[in-house]
Amino acid sequence: MPPRHGRVLDVRLKLVLMAGVSVAGLGLGFAGLALLMAPLVILFSVFRPAARVQFSELRWLFFLLALVFIARVFSTDGTPLAGLGPVAVTREGLREGTLVCLRLVLVFIVGAAFIATTRSAEIKAGVEWFLKPVPWVPAARVATMLSLVARFMPVILEQAAKTSDAQRARAGENRRNPIRRLTAFGIPLMRRTFETADNLAVAMEARCYSETRTDPELTTGRKDWLFFGTAVALILTAAAL
Amino acid sequence: MPLIIEIQHLTHCFADGTIGLADISLDIEEGAFVVIAGANGSGKTTLLRHLNGLLLPTSGTVRVAGVSVADDPRRARMRVGMIFQDADSQIVGETVHDDVAFGPENLRLSRPEVGRRVDGALAAVGLAELAGRRPHRLSGGEKRRLSIAGVLAMQPRVIVFDEPFSNLDYPGVRQVLGQMVALHRSGQTILLTTHDLDKVLAHADRLVIMQHGRIVADGLPATVVSEAETFDVRSPQAAQRGGRGLSWLN
Repeated sequence: MPPRHGRVLDVRLKLVLMAGVSVAGLGLGFAGLALLMAPLVILFSVFRPAARVQFSELRWLFFLLALVFIARVFSTDGTPLAGLGPVAVTREGLREGTLVCLRLVLVFIVGAAFIATTRSAEIKAGVEWFLKPVPWVPAARVATMLSLVARFMPVILEQAAKTSDAQRARAGENRRNPIRRLTAFGIPLMRRTFETADNLAVAMEARCYSETRTDPELTTGRKDWLFFGTAVALILTAAAL
Repeated sequence: MPLIIEIQHLTHCFADGTIGLADISLDIEEGAFVVIAGANGSGKTTLLRHLNGLLLPTSGTVRVAGVSVADDPRRARMRVGMIFQDADSQIVGETVHDDVAFGPENLRLSRPEVGRRVDGALAAVGLAELAGRRPHRLSGGEKRRLSIAGVLAMQPRVIVFDEPFSNLDYPGVRQVLGQMVALHRSGQTILLTTHDLDKVLAHADRLVIMQHGRIVADGLPATVVSEAETFDVRSPQAAQRGGRGLSWLN
């Protein structure tokens, strides 16, 4: 029986596209960002309804974006729109803040799409394929580490959700001091995450896990190249806008 | 029957100086169904982890199929498949199929052979229809059966279950117990730890009781079970009335 996990695109092409979008994203304007984000948002909403739900749980990402936005708004010189004590909100600051946040969101969406559609074994095989020709780099070890990071991400998120639930059950959100809230949340989360990661590592060891294993076959077909070509064209067009 | 596991004077001290196991000697014949019972902290899990080299002895020896585990832990892990207490922590694949393929892939089997083993293991535990499902969405009993399939795909000679019935509801217990009994009937050596004899004793052909890192009773279930409560292990209700215990599968 073949693996039932849907193979969306060859992992090597996905890695190239992800790197391309991340690099191109640094210099994109509003039009370019809209051109790249529109198809991604449509793909997400059509094919991964479960992923949309997870966005509501990404409040820390939104918190980070808000911080970046505020920092940009108040630190960019330009035409003042409003004053707040010694600092002023500028038109250019609003524009820059929005632009930087949208670029971060683009990189996040691409990363989330990659993780959602790629098995950790494929990540390992893909990274190893790219690193193999590089001398002095232990390709298998680096690839294994990267794939394990991808494997442990859901573990950390799951532990964070459980810790948060346990604290809310005891009215933890009533604490006003952010430092105490962070300590009360962070320490048990780290302890639980390390314990779970330790258990997982032992279970993997019990099943003979090593760097050298049967990797998935990496193949590219006509559909892969068609998708890749379209995506590259979109990235180049977005960069030119 | 030949011996599949030979443990001689096994002692294990943890890094903080606590003695986990003290002078354990235990031989297990191929094809046996052995239950190791004991209260929490009696050393059951520590003992199991020596069988596939997850822990190594402070002193003494553990041999699986005639080969020292300390000399070749990887070989021991191929011979002894371990089902952990927490099924969730054992899941490593993104799908049921991938999770079962994890072990054979680690053995560097060819891709067609990996596929054959996964199909066989999933069919054996009745999960073939769920091959494409995400493991975290399975029920408790299904997750435990998935763990069994993951181990079966590696074709071990011994299967070790660490508290296999914890956190399972009645149907889940019956599913896992049924699987275990079927494996034993097919000739597999089964080792199981528990502090709850009621669910499994009817099917075991040997009962070992541990306390404070030592083996304090060992023999036929009907004989040993009468001493169980002396060592903080609750006897099955039927055993309290003079019987061996009723099967949960009836």
